[in-house]
Amino acid sequence: MALVTEEFWDQGDFVARSAGMPDVPRVQLPHPVAGSGAAAMRKIAAELAPSIVAALRGTS
Amino acid sequence: MRLLEAVDEAAAVERLHDLGCTDGLPVVVPTPERVARFVLASGLDGDAVIGEMGPLGGVATVEQISVNAVMAGCLPDHLAVVLAAVRAVCHPEFDLAEMQSTTHCTAPLIVVHGPVVDFCSIASGFGALGPGHRANAAIGRALRLCMMNIGGARPGVSDMALLGHGGKFTACLGESPELSPWGPMHVDHGFAAEESAVTVVGTEPPHSVIFVGDADDPSSVERLLDSLARVIANTGSNNAHFRAGVVTVVLNPDHAAVLDAAGLSRAAVRSELASRATNPRGDLAQVNPAFAGDGSPDDPIPAVRDPADLVVLVAGGPGLYSVVLPSWGAGPHRNRAVHERIDLDHACEVPGAPRS
Repeated sequence: MALVTEEFWDQGDFVARSAGMPDVPRVQLPHPVAGSGAAAMRKIAAELAPSIVAALRGTS
Repeated sequence: MRLLEAVDEAAAVERLHDLGCTDGLPVVVPTPERVARFVLASGLDGDAVIGEMGPLGGVATVEQISVNAVMAGCLPDHLAVVLAAVRAVCHPEFDLAEMQSTTHCTAPLIVVHGPVVDFCSIASGFGALGPGHRANAAIGRALRLCMMNIGGARPGVSDMALLGHGGKFTACLGESPELSPWGPMHVDHGFAAEESAVTVVGTEPPHSVIFVGDADDPSSVERLLDSLARVIANTGSNNAHFRAGVVTVVLNPDHAAVLDAAGLSRAAVRSELASRATNPRGDLAQVNPAFAGDGSPDDPIPAVRDPADLVVLVAGGPGLYSVVLPSWGAGPHRNRAVHERIDLDHACEVPGAPRS
């Protein structure tokens, strides 16, 4: 399970293919997350938690 | 190996640009005949595997490395150096896949040691990092093209350097024992003086360090050591904040002579610089609190963990300026410097090929 910001989404695809795991589950985050402040991070987490859980369960 | 066709050399170069096989500059077209001469010069089988290059995980064979060396403008005599450099970056401690993928501006610097420096006409003095020296430019560029075409590094997709820099095109210099008071550096790493070797280390671009000596001032050497240490510990560098990674110091011959005249060996210089290159924790916290850690603001935080994390060599012309090249300092092995023997036992002269 990988969390990848939108600016690095293509790199995530590249690494997944190079590692022989093109379908490895990953969820896209807005960019940037680092340095965006605690409130922004909580908001992102709340919005994305369901899709992260779904990806981990394989139901996304 | 995929064979492409084109109506002429100019069209072939454009095709290679279109396929993303170049560094953005024109290349020498790697025709089968040119590549075969390089493989012959290596004395090795074209299918011989030198290493695996990340992040793509491409297998670097002698033939594939030869293709990139031809494209870079190398001569067949340069190939042994390129092969050693590729072998070095494929060493796990170099952290190649991570280094190619990072947003930092790190690039491999190749330092060439031993008799091959003269044999291949690799420059050590004025402007050794270029431009203007064919072997330096071509050898460093060959490694970069291998990192792109075999390792799969592409800007914004797999090479995530936010800006990049000129040293990502090529960065190679020779170490000249004549310029250094301390003898050849590769001997310190277990090689015989008559052997040839490369040291490959991930670096930022050079940061200039100005110092004017004064033979009448006994504290002159202290000023030089402090000048270098302050640049090593500059609070914009990863090394200062991560307290990890290798820092390369390239002393010009005049500055090296000042240190030697004070009785300092290369090992003593490394120790002095490591002990002086510190920042108070409070200074680091002021600019990047996330990395500062817990403790007193007065704690001295070293930029290098150990004197062995300093690569100190002598190169360039004599004068006022030496350089410090910080590093990324991340990756599972903190992107160590790797020293690799240049295998000249198998290399052979190619009849009719231009010589260095």
